Order: sequence, then structure tokens, then C-alpha cells
Amino acid sequence: MVNNTDLFFVEDDIDFAFIMENAVQELKNEVSIQIVQNGRESLDILTQMAIENFKPKLILLDLNLPGLSGIDLLKEIRDLPYFRYMPIVLFSTSANPKDIKAALEFGANAYVTKPSGYLNLVICLQSIYDFWFVQHSTLD
Amino acid sequence: MNAYNVNLTNCDIEPIHILGQIQSHGFLVAVNSETHIITYISENIHVYIRDEGKNYLGKSLSELEEKLNLDTLESELTISQLITVRNYANGLEAINPFLLKLNSQPYFMIVTSSGDNKILEFEPAAADVNIDVQQTIGRSISEILSVKKLDAMLQKAATEIKRIIGYGRIMVYKFGEDGHGEVVAEAKEDFLAPFMGLHYPASDIPKQARELYKINLTRIIADVNSINSAIITDKLKNIPLDLTHSCLRAVSPIHIQYLKNMGVESSFSISLLAHGELWGLIACHNYSPKFINYKARDAAKLLGQILSSALEYRQGEEDSEKFTYLNQGVNQLIEHLEKETNINEALFRDNISIKDINSATGAVLVFENKITRIGDTPNEEQIEEIVEWLKINMSDSVYYTHRFPQIFSASKIYSQIGSGILACMLSRELGEFIIWFKPEQIQTLTWAGNPEKPVEQSENGLLTLSPRKSFDGWTDIVKNTSEKWNRAEIAAVVNLREHVIYVITRKANEIRLLNEKLKHAYEELDTFSFTVSHDLRTPLSSIKTYSELLITNNKSLDDNARKVLDRIKVCADRMDLLIKEILKYSMIGKADVQTAPIDMTHLINEIKEDVIVGLQPKDLEFHIGDTPDIQGDPVMINQVFTNLINNAVKYSAKSTPSVVNINGVKLDKETIYTISDNGVGIDDRYYKLVFELFKRMDNVKDFEGTGVGLAIVKRIIEKHHARVWFESKLGMGTTFYLSFVNS
Repeated sequence: MVNNTDLFFVEDDIDFAFIMENAVQELKNEVSIQIVQNGRESLDILTQMAIENFKPKLILLDLNLPGLSGIDLLKEIRDLPYFRYMPIVLFSTSANPKDIKAALEFGANAYVTKPSGYLNLVICLQSIYDFWFVQHSTLD
Repeated sequence: MNAYNVNLTNCDIEPIHILGQIQSHGFLVAVNSETHIITYISENIHVYIRDEGKNYLGKSLSELEEKLNLDTLESELTISQLITVRNYANGLEAINPFLLKLNSQPYFMIVTSSGDNKILEFEPAAADVNIDVQQTIGRSISEILSVKKLDAMLQKAATEIKRIIGYGRIMVYKFGEDGHGEVVAEAKEDFLAPFMGLHYPASDIPKQARELYKINLTRIIADVNSINSAIITDKLKNIPLDLTHSCLRAVSPIHIQYLKNMGVESSFSISLLAHGELWGLIACHNYSPKFINYKARDAAKLLGQILSSALEYRQGEEDSEKFTYLNQGVNQLIEHLEKETNINEALFRDNISIKDINSATGAVLVFENKITRIGDTPNEEQIEEIVEWLKINMSDSVYYTHRFPQIFSASKIYSQIGSGILACMLSRELGEFIIWFKPEQIQTLTWAGNPEKPVEQSENGLLTLSPRKSFDGWTDIVKNTSEKWNRAEIAAVVNLREHVIYVITRKANEIRLLNEKLKHAYEELDTFSFTVSHDLRTPLSSIKTYSELLITNNKSLDDNARKVLDRIKVCADRMDLLIKEILKYSMIGKADVQTAPIDMTHLINEIKEDVIVGLQPKDLEFHIGDTPDIQGDPVMINQVFTNLINNAVKYSAKSTPSVVNINGVKLDKETIYTISDNGVGIDDRYYKLVFELFKRMDNVKDFEGTGVGLAIVKRIIEKHHARVWFESKLGMGTTFYLSFVNS
């Protein structure tokens, strides 16, 4: 299977996942999104990607996941050498400073609070695209 | 005697047991216990041997015995042999008295110990009365003991003793706690004036005399006018003979004078002891010389001992009767205490209260910052004074006095009500007490003569100590005292206290348990509301987003469908706002107040800008007056002012212009902020509801709001130990006040 994922998103809430799939369609540029519902499965996929030498453009992680939390998952991903410099953004409804601090300390590149409403979400995703897909430079 | 040194305490110093004199109706010889060498002898021995007593000092007893015309009757032993033989028997007491004949007259020899010496005393066996001891005593005892009441028993004893020994006057004399005596029973010849009920000052019977009364249970003074005989000894061992156990011992001249002044020529006394202490005396007075022999005295002594033990028993019985009665009251109260959690209500019932468990005429409970009075008590202010005094001066859990005004002089004002107090401490720290009051009893003590013994000026002009001459009734009025509290009353209070304390402890434990449960429930609720609000927001946000998504992706929707979807969005938004506010509210419950000085000018101006941006008022006059700084948690105080300023602007939006004023005044102890508007106002009827969660008044339906803002304000203000209140008039406006304590 040839992987062409641009945006790798870990999200357990199927509603938000569904909305995200729609919102991504509203972007000016075409972006392929892969949504995985739990941490364990996403780790397997990412490990497989590393084997196949494939990197998505950005990983988005929800914070409150059942089982492995977003922070746990972040640590695990960073432990894979292949994804050490991979841009990872935490994407959560929580704006709790404690969560933000933890995310940044464990190596998240940014922390974005989920906006309220569809239109706001589209705007938010557009700016994420503009920055992380266009402006941002990283190491391999 | 020093002319300037005369006072009655001299009576207490007089060494009467080593006076070295005996009464002259008998004679005394003391010998060394081992050698039987004569060590002391009374001078009046010469009446019996026609020789000087001093000639026999240092000689052996047998030498003296030869001179005496003695007949030891059936024993056929010498005195020396007798006391030696008797030594091996059951002690000296067992041989006394020893009947013998002296110059053909019957005499008793009484042997007692005094240090290394044996004292041999000889006194006539013939007496003015002859008593068949066994028969008389037996009858008297059953007579006396047949009486139930203590007072009557004593009266009976006086009558019986008078019948046996035939003195002119027999008085039962009872000692008070202060040592003064009262005549509580009397039997006398008809022509004598009664002494019944008279009081005698403590100094009438000095302290060492009282001690001797405890050792020698009887004491006779045969004739106050006879001349005493001196006890002589060798010059080498000039130590006075200890006459503690002697029965011939002479009487202190002061006491002789005292009796003479009273017109008494002969006296006999029997000690009454209770619980090892001198309870009183049976004092027998005769108005002419009178002698009763050893056996009669011994019979009287036995009577006294039996009466003593009956006294102990009867006193105990009467106490326990009273105790049982009072305890019934206590038990009723205890029953109430067990059923009733409210101590106040348990101790003050219509049919029984704390006043009913003793002879008090008023009682008060000082408990949980409340004073509950019943009967005659001092007023609340005075009770508070008493409580302060008790807190400092009470060393035990129960305190009582029958002369409170003499101890705590401030209580003189209400001595009529509270001369006697009985206090029971529930908690010293909290100043919680039960106090009973007894009224003043202006006691009229009738003394047998003025108790202040006068010092007399004798013929040579020197002051001499003399007992008083007048025994006329002398009335003394004693103020600031009440009837005494008796043992039964005190025991009842001790019992009650135990139970009250138990109930208080039990109640405290219950409250502690409840408190823990509440704390637990509160914590749970806090976690609950936090989690719930958080979890609620996610699906809510989806609902909102779905309706937007629906609108965005379906250009073909008709207007009505769009409207419905818009409404879904609005409702979801509103619910989201509510949840956010609850979250805030519950966060305040958890958060600690982190106090810091707050720059109020900056804070208020910032809030003003935010509020104006948020609400977009059309016609607003916003005045900021003085803004003194305060101490508080900057984040929380910001929330308080944001809420209040937001409300002021919001609810005055329909006034033209809408006017909002903010001003702070720094006073001595507090800083007060006022936030006032000319808005719709708050209905008085809802005053109490305003700060409650989710309560919104009917006149603000048209305004956006959740009903959480003021609840948050109140919660924060409470956390700061500050105060918030408001004044308002419907349609005119509202002023909120915030008062912060200055640090």
C-alpha cells in the first residue's frame, strides 16, 4: 500500500473525526487526512511508516485519549528515532495551562485549542496548513 | 506576760499538757517503767503519808508503798509487782481501774504511760453517784438508738446522760467548720436558763484542747475552786511530765476562769468523734463541786463512743436520703439529655430544670455563647463577670461557696440573690458553666456572750488575759452569706456534670462525623461537576459544529431549515456558556486564595475596556472615582469586578444614558468599593436569592446571563473573608458594595 497521508490525526471522538474529514475538504489545498482512533493502533501505523520510510507532513494528537493519553503517545512517538524531528501538534478542547506545559515539555511543537464551531475549525485548519505545510521547515 | 502582747491566740499557745499540776482530789506518782524508781510525785502525797513527797524522788516505788496504808485486796501483790505483772498482760488499758484500799477507803489506781515513765494515779472510788454501769448503759443505748432523726437522737443522749450522771446541765455542742460551737441539744434543771441554740466562738476551746479531746474521750474538772497540786521532780531531770493521758491533769487557769465566770463549779465532757474528727462535745456542767468516779466516766465514754458511731451512720443516712431525692431530679435530667441533642432544652423543661436538683433558688446555663437563666439569678452582664472570674479562679471542675460576696466583691451588688454559688465547669476555654445561686441569708447568730474576748485590766494595772465574764446572749448579724451547700447537693452536681460532658462529647463527635461526610460529599461534588462539565462540552461542541457543517455543505436548504439549524447553534452556544460558568464556579471552590497587593486603577480600567468591547453599549457614562488598592487573589478579584461591572453595564443598557459609577473608600479597617448603575434594579423580595446559583430575576429575562456570575462573586468574596451586599430599587438602579479587610 502506497501511503500518501499528509495529516496524521489521532482522535477517539468519532463526531470530531467526521467533522475534521469534512473540514479538511474545505481547505484551499488538497490535503489527505488519516484519522486513527486510539493510541496503540496509531503507534503501530507510525512504526510501520518508519519501516517504509514514509513521513506524513504533520501529526495532530488529541489530548484525552482512552488508554494511552495524548501525552503518552507523544513520548512514544518521540522515542522512535525516525520521528524525532517530526512536527507534532497537540489538538485539544482543554486550555488548561498544565496540559499545555506537559505537551511542550514532552516535545510537542505546538499546542492548539480546538475551536468551537465548524467555520472556526476550517479557519483554524487553514492556518495550520499555511504554517506547518507551507512555512515551516524541519529536519529529516 | 508582756503587757502589749495579750491576745486570744495565747490561749492556743498555752502548753496545758505539761503544766506540771494535777487536780487535788487524787494524787500522782510516776516511776521509771524499767526500774520503778520514782521520777515525779505530786506534792499532795503528804496528805496520805505525812511526809514530803520530795523525799521519795529517786527512791524505789516499794519504799513509798511501805509508807502508804495500802491494801491491794484479793491480789495480795505489791503495786510494783502489780504493774510489772500487768505489763505482760493485754497492755495497760486492760487493768484500769485497779480497785484498792487506801487508809481503808476504796480507791482506784489508774496506770498510764508517759514516755519512759508509768504514771500511777489514785483517785477515790466512791463517787457522788453510784452507777450500775451495765444495766444503765444498756438501757440508755437502746433509748438513744431508737430515735431516727439526728437532732432527736442527740436530745435523747443529753437526757440519758443527765439521768446517769446527774449534772445540772448537759449540752450537746456541735463544732462548725470554722471551729465555733453551737448548742444543738440540751438537758438541764428547770431553774437554769436555756443555752440551746447559742453559739460559742472557736477560741473558747483552743486548738490543743481539741486535739486532747480526740485522745482523752472524757475529761473531768471536779471542783474549779480546789487548789491544784504541783508535780515535783528531781532538779537534775527538770523536764515536765507529759500528762496527755492523765486523768487528774489540772486545767488551764484560763479555762478555770472561764468556767467560774459562767458560774460552773464542776465540769465533765465527753468527746464526740465522726470520721476521726472532733464532731462535738457533750459538755456537762454542775453548779456545785461534783466528782464521778472512773467507772462512771468510763460508762459515759462508752456512751459517747456509741453515739459517735451512730452519728457517723445517721449523718450518712440522712445525707443519702437527701442524695437519693436530689438524684431523682438528676436522673430525670439525664434521661432528657439522652433523648435530646439540644442541651439547653434538656436542662430546662417545664416540669424539671437544673434548678430542681438542689436547694438553689436560681440557676443559669452558659453554653454555646448563650445564657439561659431560671429562677432568681444575677443579670446577664453580671453572669458574664462571674464566668470570667470562674475561668481564672476555678481550679477544679466544681466550685462552691456560701459566701461569694466576701470572695468576689463585685458580687456584693446582687448578694441578695447570689450569696451562695455552686459552679460546674463544662469548658474553661469556651467559658461554659452551669451556675446555681442561693440567696443571702442574713444569719442571726446568738453568741453566748461577745465572742471578742475582752482583755482585762487587773488591779496592778497590767493587762491580763481573761476569758469573758458575760455570757449574756449577744447577737451578731452575718451578711453576705447563704445557707451552705451540702454534700448531697455537690454530689448531685458532680453526677449531672458527668452526663452533660458526655452528651457534649457525643454531640461533638457526631458533628465531626457529619463534617467529614460533608467534606467528602463536597469534594465528590466538585470532582463531579468538573468532570461532568468537561465531558458535556465535547458532544455539545459537536452538535454545534454539525449544524454549521450542515448549513455550510448544503446550499439547497430552505430558510426554515436554516433557521432551525441556527437555533440549534444558539442553544448549543448558550449551554456551552453555562457549562463554562459552572466550571469556573467549581474551580473557585478548589482554588486556594493567593493573596497579593492589587493595582486597582489598572484592574478596573482594563475590565472597563473588556466589558465595553464585549457588550458594545450605545450610550454609556462610565465614571471611575477613587480606586484604593486592596489585597486579594488577583485572578479572583478580577472575576469579581468583571462580573459586577459587566452586570452594571448590561442591566443599565436600556437607560439613556446608562450610568455606571465605581468608587473605593479606604477606611480604618476596611476598604469599601461601590459599583452602581441606573439599570433595571433588583426586586427586594429576591434579596436572598440573588447570590444563589442559576437564580435569575424575572425582570432580566431579556438580558443574556447564566445566573452564575453573582454566585461566583459570593464564593470568591467568602474565600477572601470579605463582604458583599447591595441596595437596589426596581427601575432605578442597583449599587453593589464590596468590603475588603485592610491588611
